[in-house]
Amino acid sequence: MNSPSFVSTFRPRATPVSAPGWYWMVPRVAIALFLLAIGTLVWWLHRNDLDEQRSTMINDVLWMEQDLRFHLDRNAEQMAQIGREAADGRLDARVIEARQRNLIANGHGLLRVDTIARIDANDPDLSGPARLAEQLGRAAYLPPYATADGDVHFDVLVPLGGGQGWMRGTYSIEQMLAQSVPWWFAERYKLDVIDNTETVLASKSKVAAEHDEMNYALVFDPPGHGLRLRVTAYRSDTRLLPALLVVTIVGLAFTMLWSLWALRRHLVRRLEAEQALREEHTFRSAMENSLSIGLRARDLSGRITHVNPAFCRMVGWSAEELMAMSPPMPYWAPEEAEHIRALHDGILAGGATAHEALELKFIRRNGERFDVLISEAPLVDADGHHVGWMSSVLDITERKEAEELYRQQQEKLQFTGRLITMGEMASTLAHELNQPLSAIASYSTACLNMVDNGSGSLADLKEPLAKMNAQARRAGTIIRRVHEFVRRSEPKRVACSLNDVVEEALGLIEADARKRDIRISSSLAGALPLVSADRVMIEQVLLNLIRNGMDAMAACPPERRRLLIQTSADAEGVQVSVRDSGSGIPPEVADKLFAPFFTTKPDGMGMGLNICRSIVELHRGRLWFESADGGGTVFILKLPAGE
Amino acid sequence: MSQIFIVDDDEAIRDALGWLFRSRGHTVRTWPSAEALIGSGEIAHCGCLLLDIRMDGMSGLELFGWLHEHGHEMPVIFLTGHGDVPMAVGAIKQGAFDFVEKPFNDNELVDRALAALDMHQQQLSKRAAAQAIEERVAQLTQREIEVMERVLAGQMNKVIASDLGVTMRTVEVHRARIFEKMGVRSAVELAQVLAARK
Repeated sequence: MNSPSFVSTFRPRATPVSAPGWYWMVPRVAIALFLLAIGTLVWWLHRNDLDEQRSTMINDVLWMEQDLRFHLDRNAEQMAQIGREAADGRLDARVIEARQRNLIANGHGLLRVDTIARIDANDPDLSGPARLAEQLGRAAYLPPYATADGDVHFDVLVPLGGGQGWMRGTYSIEQMLAQSVPWWFAERYKLDVIDNTETVLASKSKVAAEHDEMNYALVFDPPGHGLRLRVTAYRSDTRLLPALLVVTIVGLAFTMLWSLWALRRHLVRRLEAEQALREEHTFRSAMENSLSIGLRARDLSGRITHVNPAFCRMVGWSAEELMAMSPPMPYWAPEEAEHIRALHDGILAGGATAHEALELKFIRRNGERFDVLISEAPLVDADGHHVGWMSSVLDITERKEAEELYRQQQEKLQFTGRLITMGEMASTLAHELNQPLSAIASYSTACLNMVDNGSGSLADLKEPLAKMNAQARRAGTIIRRVHEFVRRSEPKRVACSLNDVVEEALGLIEADARKRDIRISSSLAGALPLVSADRVMIEQVLLNLIRNGMDAMAACPPERRRLLIQTSADAEGVQVSVRDSGSGIPPEVADKLFAPFFTTKPDGMGMGLNICRSIVELHRGRLWFESADGGGTVFILKLPAGE
Repeated sequence: MSQIFIVDDDEAIRDALGWLFRSRGHTVRTWPSAEALIGSGEIAHCGCLLLDIRMDGMSGLELFGWLHEHGHEMPVIFLTGHGDVPMAVGAIKQGAFDFVEKPFNDNELVDRALAALDMHQQQLSKRAAAQAIEERVAQLTQREIEVMERVLAGQMNKVIASDLGVTMRTVEVHRARIFEKMGVRSAVELAQVLAARK
């Protein structure tokens, strides 16, 4: 699977376009204008609606007023007609009465009708209007007056003409309204009749209108006399469709705003996430580029999909060149190509998911070979799909070279250490040899002198000669030990007794110990099993341990400078312990004690104990140390028993 | 009486050297360490010291330094082993009499020791003579010293008298007193005695 998207995730992303100032201004201004337009539209619709209602109301009021006037005028005409016919006397009085009753019944508030033959000129209420009506030839209305039962009445005078008198009708305003105003009107409006002082004289409805803005008043003439009709609309019935539309528009507007806000929030989060991702990516790239470990990603077919700079430096090919390659890779060392190929195929076959590190040999572009340590791990994408393999590649050439160098140096140092020990020993022994030789020379000269000047008898010569002899033996012993020490050739394992080795070592160290005022005592087990060992080497180990013990006691008072050497045997083998009474080994030193180049001595090389342990291990033995009772340290050397 | 002292930590060496010196008719005294010698309080009787350079405790060189500090001027011969020659040469530069390397030619060592002892004796007697002259000079009066200086300069009595503003007779008396106090009979003899002092 070659997933280009996977590769692209590792490529640096282009820097994003930063949003300019107007980027956010335009939608904000548009939203403000939009809300303004919506508000205006709603307001305008409302206004329109009110205007329409008002004009309807005015039309209705005008119609109402016309209707009332029409009834009043018709009543007046009928009253005049009835009056004239009654005056003619052509009709039966019963008919007249029936007509009058009929008129009252349909008279829209007409309470009664009566005939007035003549009017007293002195009657101030009737004379004026009566004359006016006579002159104009039409009905005249009298001012309204309140009655005892709280109603307001007004009268109308209808001239009959020709001196026949007048007809007088009395109206109840309340009755008039009750009978004239149709139901649909009463349902929509409150109709009041008011006078000059705004006092309500009669009202169609007792229920008060809820708001007063929507009202209209016009002169109620006839009857006149300052009466007015006032109409107040009840709460305008809300019309469903426009209201629904407005609600929908406003709702949609808010939905739009909310979605815009949500979008913006989403956008901001997305930008933040992108920024974080970018930083993370930069950080990871920097980290990866700074690594000295090579990183290599491969897809499931084994093609390289990603390498870091360290890997490129290691193999000498550029990332682009490596991406285009497919196995066998040119950086596989030809001699190991088959082996690597097998491993490679094994990994691709998914044979293992968690590998231990592999040590392989790679070749650089310039032909130089180097050792690498490769760890493979499966590469899993965000969806959990296994898309390839990730390997870390560590160049271990230097490490291997260092190990090899260390091994060689170790060998050399062991050799050098042995030489140095020998050199020191030889120097010490040469010095030690001088002593008996000088003594012998002096004794012999003394003897010669005595013989020459005849100052001594033969018996006198006996004592210096015997002493000379003893000194010669002393020198001989030293010489023999040196000889044996130096005569060592190749390591030779022979069956030997550790007791003998200890005694020989003690013989060599004796002079040194005496010089340092150290008492060495030994406690050797009888009948020790033989061990198979190079006795010179073991002796050297012992000498080293003894010398270390003596060094450890350098700071002690002379009476405490005691070194105890013991041998013993058990089922596991034979052991020698060297116990000093120094100040012991501090814990921080203890675990480094056998490390090469670790030393506590100002002029030490730090090889002694390291070499000792190597020698002991060469003999399949063990060398360790313990704290001694009462201070100091015991070094214990244990060798397996047997031939 | 000055003696030859030997300090060495090896008993065989000490014993052998004791035999050697006895075979030449000289006795020596031996100490096993520098501390033993210092502790013995016998150091003033030492006329020649044979000193082992390498010893436990106080080394030969340290003892040598100690002797210098305490005003002991006896000749010291270092006995050295292999590898100690540079140390011994350093000691010579600091005023040691000699050093011999082990194993040494023994009679030569005895000769060197005897020579050193002899030298030390001479030094001692020379010092004693000088001291005697000093004592005599100390007896002279101021005027007598003035006169003596002029006599030693070879001036005649007459010149001395006029120089000091005294009579010839007085000068002659002074002169006789000087000769008497210094135990000499002539001006030549006086000059010789005083020259030995210097």
